[in-house]
Amino acid sequence: MSVVNYGTREITCKIVYYGPGRSGKTTNLQHIYSKLPEERKGKMVSLATETDRTLFFDFLPLDLGTISGFATRFQLYTVPGQVYYAATRKLVLQGVDGVVFVADSQSRQLAENIESLQDLHANLAEEGLDPRTLPLVMQYNKRDLPAGEISPIEELDETLNFRDVPYFSAIAVNGGGVFETLRSVASLVLSRLSAPAVGEA
Amino acid sequence: MAKEPNKKDAEEETGGEFDDFMADISHEIAQRVESLDTKPKAKPQPEERKKTPAVPDAGVIVDWPNIADRMIEEMR
Repeated sequence: MSVVNYGTREITCKIVYYGPGRSGKTTNLQHIYSKLPEERKGKMVSLATETDRTLFFDFLPLDLGTISGFATRFQLYTVPGQVYYAATRKLVLQGVDGVVFVADSQSRQLAENIESLQDLHANLAEEGLDPRTLPLVMQYNKRDLPAGEISPIEELDETLNFRDVPYFSAIAVNGGGVFETLRSVASLVLSRLSAPAVGEA
Repeated sequence: MAKEPNKKDAEEETGGEFDDFMADISHEIAQRVESLDTKPKAKPQPEERKKTPAVPDAGVIVDWPNIADRMIEEMR
């Protein structure tokens, strides 16, 4: 995906929130949406099943206005975490510029986190994207749950964050860590604007 | 180290979060755009070419449309 277009003077970044089912991906987007000023609020598209799980994906266009002469947009997506929506996840990952991996901190969800991370890497590779270099941020969510139910941050990080990328603990349900995570992935994505984009568009 | 989330009350006003985000990101984008140097780089001046001698009036093509038609026809 071309993230900077000199012809139209636009910067567009696609960020995908990835992770196992019920880890809090949609909650991240809902919090961001709730904090947008009215004039910047586009439509958050969210398709859920009867049981309130994300069926297809969530899409939140984030219009940041004109910055240094460039109309800047972030497009935030989530993927459905449930294993049987593999095709949708591949589709949503097309043209991705950065990924937030939302891990569920609950100890009993560790296997699901690992499986989802492996799924992410496989899908990125299928898309021709290098999982070792794509901007990635880890978010360890649900840190408000009782200590006995969640894994220590260090343990999660050692298991999941083998690339040693930035990581954040979060309580997405009340917004804790949500914007910090977004800021970090946005920063990583923007730092990659230069090299491949010059001369394009 | 993981950055600890702000354990704030759900009721607490947090409308400034987006403004803070915007401030950071705007600064970063401005820096990045500046570093990209979007202006086209000045190309080195080519050596001045020798001027083509003026074509005498007798050689000027005056019947251009017919010639163009022939050329197009031959190229087919």
